[in-house]
Amino acid sequence: MTAAGPPLLRGTGLAKTYGNLVALDDTDFVVNAGEVRALIGSNGAGKSTLIKILTGAVTPTRGSVEISGEIAPLGDPSEMIRRGVACIYQHSNLAPAMSALDNIYLGRQPTRRFGFVDTRRQRLQAEELLAHHGIDIDLDARVGTLSTVKQKEVEILKALALEARVILMDEPTGWLAGADVVRLHNTIRTLKARGVGIVYISHVLDEIFAVCDTVTIMRDGRVVAESAVADIDRPRVVHLMVGEKLARESADAALKQRRPRGTGAVRLSARGLGKSGVFADVSFDLHAGEIFCLTGLIGSRRTELVRTLFGSDRFDTGTLEIDGRAVAPRTPLDGMSLGIGFVPEDRHREGLMLDMNVTENLAMATLERHCRGPLLSRSGMVRAGRRAIDDLSVQPRDGSKMVRLLSGGNQQKVLVGKWLSRGPRILILDEPTVGVDVGAKAEIYAILRREREQGAAILIVSSDLEEVMTVADRIGVMVSGRLVAVHDAGSVGMADIVREIGGGSA
Amino acid sequence: MSARSLSMPAALSAHVAPNALPIAVAVIIAIFALTEPAFLSTDNLVGIARQVAIIGIMAVCMTFVIMTGGVDLSVGPVLALAGLAAFYSLDAGFSLPVVILAGLSVGAVVGLANGMIVAFLQLPPIIVTLAMLSMVRGTALIVGGPEQHLIRNEPAYSFIGTGSMFGLPVSVYIFAAVAVIMILVQWRTPLGLLVAAIGDNERAARLSGHRTRFTKTLVYVICGLGAALAGIIQSSQVHTALATYGPFGTELDVIAAVVLGGTSIMGGNGSIARTLLGVFFLGILNNGMNILNVPIDIQLIAKGAIIVAALAIAARRG
Amino acid sequence: MASFFRISAIVNMRSASAALALFFAATIVFFCVSAPRFATASTVENLMSGFSFVAILAMGQAFPILVRGIDLSIGAIVGLVGMIVFDLSLIGQLPGYLILPLALLAGALAGAVNGVLVVHLRLQPFIATLATLAAYRGLTYAISGRQLVPGLTTTPIRDPWLTGIETYFDVGGWLGLSRLVNMPWVPLSFVIMLAVFVVLQVLLTSTRFGRDIYATGGNHEAARLAGIRVNNVIIAAYALAGLCAAIAALIMVARFTTATEALGAGMELTAIAAAVIGGVSLAGGVGAMFGPALGAFLLGAILIGLTLQGVPQFVQQIITGAILLAAVGYDRLLSVRRQRRLTAASTAAT
Repeated sequence: MTAAGPPLLRGTGLAKTYGNLVALDDTDFVVNAGEVRALIGSNGAGKSTLIKILTGAVTPTRGSVEISGEIAPLGDPSEMIRRGVACIYQHSNLAPAMSALDNIYLGRQPTRRFGFVDTRRQRLQAEELLAHHGIDIDLDARVGTLSTVKQKEVEILKALALEARVILMDEPTGWLAGADVVRLHNTIRTLKARGVGIVYISHVLDEIFAVCDTVTIMRDGRVVAESAVADIDRPRVVHLMVGEKLARESADAALKQRRPRGTGAVRLSARGLGKSGVFADVSFDLHAGEIFCLTGLIGSRRTELVRTLFGSDRFDTGTLEIDGRAVAPRTPLDGMSLGIGFVPEDRHREGLMLDMNVTENLAMATLERHCRGPLLSRSGMVRAGRRAIDDLSVQPRDGSKMVRLLSGGNQQKVLVGKWLSRGPRILILDEPTVGVDVGAKAEIYAILRREREQGAAILIVSSDLEEVMTVADRIGVMVSGRLVAVHDAGSVGMADIVREIGGGSA
Repeated sequence: MSARSLSMPAALSAHVAPNALPIAVAVIIAIFALTEPAFLSTDNLVGIARQVAIIGIMAVCMTFVIMTGGVDLSVGPVLALAGLAAFYSLDAGFSLPVVILAGLSVGAVVGLANGMIVAFLQLPPIIVTLAMLSMVRGTALIVGGPEQHLIRNEPAYSFIGTGSMFGLPVSVYIFAAVAVIMILVQWRTPLGLLVAAIGDNERAARLSGHRTRFTKTLVYVICGLGAALAGIIQSSQVHTALATYGPFGTELDVIAAVVLGGTSIMGGNGSIARTLLGVFFLGILNNGMNILNVPIDIQLIAKGAIIVAALAIAARRG
Repeated sequence: MASFFRISAIVNMRSASAALALFFAATIVFFCVSAPRFATASTVENLMSGFSFVAILAMGQAFPILVRGIDLSIGAIVGLVGMIVFDLSLIGQLPGYLILPLALLAGALAGAVNGVLVVHLRLQPFIATLATLAAYRGLTYAISGRQLVPGLTTTPIRDPWLTGIETYFDVGGWLGLSRLVNMPWVPLSFVIMLAVFVVLQVLLTSTRFGRDIYATGGNHEAARLAGIRVNNVIIAAYALAGLCAAIAALIMVARFTTATEALGAGMELTAIAAAVIGGVSLAGGVGAMFGPALGAFLLGAILIGLTLQGVPQFVQQIITGAILLAAVGYDRLLSVRRQRRLTAASTAAT
């Protein structure tokens, strides 16, 4: 089962370093014909660097890539496409106003004389492709009107129309609902039967056990294990991903620092919160002096839920009490006046002013404090900024540095610092350490623990189980818009959480 | 590999580009001064300041709009309509403060309309203000008709545009006052910071608890007020109110001055002080070329080429 | 479910054009009823002869907008090409059949320069074409035959190849319909407009280039990754806008039998307005040729109708502005609805 066919794609001794940072260290990677290979690892394990090398988006520092036994030139996306390596990215790469048919052949429609598109031949080819791979799609529909799973299928067809022999899929089920995941998996099985090699990147172990043949597990920039899926079980996979030693150490450390539930008063109390078509019947309490982690799959609506707590979105049903008072924040300003701070998931799109400096970003939520009458006290801002920079140890210690020029970890510290400067009674953080290096991660955890000691109620949305097990006092699990379980962190293992996240099957 | 080592031209442009505009201003002053000594005469320098006052006030007031990622094409007709409003209030015998208020209110109303449509209905600013350009011009023509309205025997009003104090025209004082106020607003009030924040990342600004729509509306009101003030000065300067003042192209001159000052048309970065440099750069260029009798055609080509060159340098930097 | 999406997609896509056509029809009916002498052959003739070149400009303007740009310089290109024709014909004494291709080439080149500035100097389209607006207008003054040879100012252009564009065909007479009703004569410029429409529409919907335009405007990154040479596509889009401006210039020169330095001033805004009214989205990747052309004639019908009603020209400007606002507002409404339906569809699946 492992070696389904001849190797289609083989990377040998691949390595990539950015300055001192080793993103990928001497990695071998093989995909065979008719094989679905899972590629898993926690954030920063080197998966995305590996994928970028294989698609030609990044030139490796060392190593070589062979496609069907031929050495491929590196760092040239169009050359990789030409040789039959296609990638389906997490975000859409389709033109929404064009038909599915045109998107499948984007940039390479068959033409007759004078550049006229041979629509008949195009359609025939597409229908043949559909029939051959057993995919059903309305070729004339505008892609923007298709459901997400159909759009993924259009992207797969686009790859197949290139006669791709290897398809890399980066979190292909990220935004899909359960039934659609099954559809996509059926498509993948059909492709596999046709001899296409597939690399399947996912955080969702259920999916890996459902559809993949082999699994490559990465950690800290190297491959730590390769195995047939049939020969491995979930706890083993989790241990390999996290690293046994680290898992135990961090669990110990977390245990020592963990707090029993309910030490403080109830700060925020949600009862039966719902938003039509998004999430329903969510009830939980958030206490002063605790860290409560909401975990679940991407698309399980955790972000949508916490946004309604802050007021940047609104819930339709249920009640929300803060400090015992029923509230319904309608704007971020409402949330802030209730003492809530909110660190959004996407720090570039929603969090930071990248072209403004650190001091200004830190002051962005507290401008009114720096006002003397109608005037803004720049010197006050600078002083407060300097304090925050020292406090959070932002590197470099220079308030006039443009935020764009900071590393991901330091950007995140600035974003957290912006809210800490308000002294929030409730701090909500959505995926606070995505794209943050290990050192900065630890610093951010330390900051959050310190805030907790000072009595703040902290709510973290995280998909990173290692993070959840490290910082949480209590853990809530969301599945498809429902809060299915709440645990004391001390009394639950990672394997249980993994099982619940996947919807409790297996 | 070689990504670390900056090539010579890159290093050069990294140092020169941020200061390109001051350097350019200095260079053209030197050129004009050397070729035509009359250029540096006090009269001429005062003349330049007077000439740029009207465009300058509008450019200073439009800088915030452009910083938020917008643009206002309707300033030309606002200038005309404000002049007419002032004329009719004068005609009706109101006192000077009321007359000025009447003129300014035109700008406030148009700016409010622009701002609310852009901020709350989220329509594209180019089109909204283009439509407004057409509508305000039509209104001005209905109000004023195609004929000139002479402003006679109004010494107080005429003082705004033609009077002088301590050897400088009053309009220059007004320009300076507006510039100083707006620079203060930019550096010493939350609004200045907020405008940059909205242009940089509107969603983040909203999530930081700012009323971004209100702020966006406000910057269009400021822009409208600037255009109206320019209209009052202009009508006072030429003793005439006319519905076709601020002809098509006025707004483009204003935008050119702002953009030359380094404010990105995409929003975000920007500085009122640098807009002033842009204003004077264009003003000196016009003045110098006039003194040197450069024909209008070459002037236009030179203006276009200079804008392209300045922005291409800025784009290389980014 | 799939068929539902299909239908709604088609309805959605057509609804903008359909709404425009309906609005156009309603406008015509309104003026036929309310404006004296609107329902006459001469109105139709005025509309055809006075707005065909506006329609051509609007169709040309649609291309930069389709690739997420804008071209403010087309009015200046009209002036420049007009002056080139003036010079070549009156000073150069070149025959018209040589001037025509040269004029078209000049327009396309001027447009391509805009494209190069946008693509290779990475200037914002708005700014790049604002600068070339000034530069082309300046160039027009610089090469103005009116200043070089002042004696020519009053000399009309008589070359039959050029003035022949201002010809009217008695189509009604040929068809024998004139015996029944008073039929308008069809100006050649209208025929040219139809030809431009057909060519550009075919180019847009039936050729690879058209697909590349939509792809580039719809998702620049996806187009690039698909191997489309987006830079060339963008330059070509601006060149087409320049070409259309040249055609419009030829029509205008034929009409006035001369060219002034100010020819075409301000036309870019009318063209942008017509394109936007015609459903070309400023967000790029959405629109075709029918909308901009009809948008131009809608603006024309309103202007003519209001004039016949005795509404002062000034009020017409206000109404034009209001229509433009309504058009973008409607476009915005459609896209908001589309968005809402999509989120509803995706959550319904959950």
